[in-house]
Amino acid sequence: MESSQGRKHLFDLKIPLGSLLGFYGILLLFYGLFGPASVYKKSFNLNVDLIWGILMLVIGSSFLAASYFGRSVKK
Amino acid sequence: MTPVISMNFIDYTILAAYVIITIAVGYALKKYMITSEDFFLSGRSLPSWITSLAFLSANLGALEVIGMVANSAKYGILTVHFYWIGAIPAMIFLGIFMMPFYYGSRVRSVPEYLKLRYNEATRGLNALSFAIMTLLMSGISMYAMALLFELMLGWTLTSSILLSAIVVLIYVFFGGLSSSIYNEVIQFFLIWLGLLPVVYIGLHAVGGFEGLVQRIPPSFLHAWQHMGSATDNPMGVDWMGVVLGLGFVLSFGYWTTDFLVVQRAMASENLAAARRTPLIASFPKMLVPIIVVIPGLLAVALLPQFKVATGALGQGGATPDYNSALILMFAHYLPNGILGLAITGLLASFMSGMAGNVTAFNTVWTYDIYGSYIKRNMPDNHYLKMGKYATIFGVLFSIGTAYIVRSFPNLMDYMQLIFTFFNAPLFATFLLGMFWKKATPWGGFFGLLSGILAAAFHYFVLYRPGIIHYPSEMAANFYQAWWAWCTDFVVTIVVSFFTAKKEEAALTGLVYGLTPKPHSGETLFRKPEFWAIVSLVIMVVLNIIFW
Repeated sequence: MESSQGRKHLFDLKIPLGSLLGFYGILLLFYGLFGPASVYKKSFNLNVDLIWGILMLVIGSSFLAASYFGRSVKK
Repeated sequence: MTPVISMNFIDYTILAAYVIITIAVGYALKKYMITSEDFFLSGRSLPSWITSLAFLSANLGALEVIGMVANSAKYGILTVHFYWIGAIPAMIFLGIFMMPFYYGSRVRSVPEYLKLRYNEATRGLNALSFAIMTLLMSGISMYAMALLFELMLGWTLTSSILLSAIVVLIYVFFGGLSSSIYNEVIQFFLIWLGLLPVVYIGLHAVGGFEGLVQRIPPSFLHAWQHMGSATDNPMGVDWMGVVLGLGFVLSFGYWTTDFLVVQRAMASENLAAARRTPLIASFPKMLVPIIVVIPGLLAVALLPQFKVATGALGQGGATPDYNSALILMFAHYLPNGILGLAITGLLASFMSGMAGNVTAFNTVWTYDIYGSYIKRNMPDNHYLKMGKYATIFGVLFSIGTAYIVRSFPNLMDYMQLIFTFFNAPLFATFLLGMFWKKATPWGGFFGLLSGILAAAFHYFVLYRPGIIHYPSEMAANFYQAWWAWCTDFVVTIVVSFFTAKKEEAALTGLVYGLTPKPHSGETLFRKPEFWAIVSLVIMVVLNIIFW
């Protein structure tokens, strides 16, 4: 296999990606819990913000965890 | 005009967070941009999961998403042809057969390959047409996007154009291709997470898949069953047009020779990763219909204005504005919160599409035009600076194009049409260049030129005046691509018999048979061939399921 020629020089994309998705998760979660219920008329009374907030929080924190543990393994 | 959608503070917070993180990522990458290869090719250092998601996202621009939802509302499941037969074989071909030449020869751009394989003239023809088209395209999509945001949120054209242009300029200026790629990966997640709720709520509204099937016309439900004759299906294309025009010429022309996508694979950390890039990307690519085709079908099932036109082909009734299908689905079914996420996904896919154009432009401009014809052999730092200036120039030129198109809206369709003249034949030039060592430099040049002219001839002399008829505009487009490809292919071969060949030594690494076979990675799961077969099998199965 050809040797990797580039320096491993860029920072880990999982950090900004995980932070952004995690932030959205928290935001939607709180809005789903404490925001007005009337907005969910559109979605047939499904509190999609809450559901999606939890999902995004899980995805975001998995990226952050993968980045954290990936680095400590290398060390 | 009142906007279709009203966003509240939570939606705007989501949008703002995206803009901030985007600029922050670009700024944080600034210190890594030391050489021109860092700026234009990410120092060839990225792992394949990142390059493959970027490879896919570069093609999943906002206009593409809007347009494909519109196609789905208009033609139904037939739209999957753009994602399966119209993409997967070409992506696999790129990864398995072509990437060893692109990556292995260490060229920095697609036109540079043409220079090494053929001659300076072939490179010049391709570099110039690509550079100009890329900027015009970026301007066109900027205008179209600004129109959409005006309709959707009531933003003025100038404010959307300036917002997107400034953000893209900042992050590409600082981080070059790496910024662009990182943002494409972020966009990939945002567009999926932003559009899936529409699918979820929409399916809930129609009563699941069974409910959906009952509410749409039967011809919307099959990908191949109605393709026997062009008059039997809403798209007005027969299976041969789809297979030859879309599946072969257009799709291979785009996926294997368009520098915008190929550049993402070239940024990979090694040859095996570069080959895996399009192969890994083919899996999510096959799933994209979930977020574009299903919303289109849901629009037909749920929104009364799209029901009108779904009778038999060509029946009367007001033609609905299909391009608004996705936006109207957002407006009807997404509550605030999720709504902001969906809009942010659209904005992200628009910005990353534009950044993709700008990065492809600045690379081709700097390496293939400036560095080859204007100032050769300057120190590397000079080209790095030129890349940054080209970024500014590219963005300004796109803004200019957006305003020109605004004054002459007809120009938009016209320009998009001209682009197809350049794209279709190029694949013949590459195919012969990579797999037939007897193709000569001038064979390549005249083949490409005559392919472009053949497309123009077909359109202006034969199709427009009505000498040739096709059942639909799309069929005309597919067959035009096919004939342009054939012309290029034949002319390249004929001219090659009468002109001087290149020395075989000069073709090492560029042509099949004169290039050592690449090792394909140590374990089964790292072998590109393994992923190619899995991907192909899944594609065939999907086509059978939705036959």
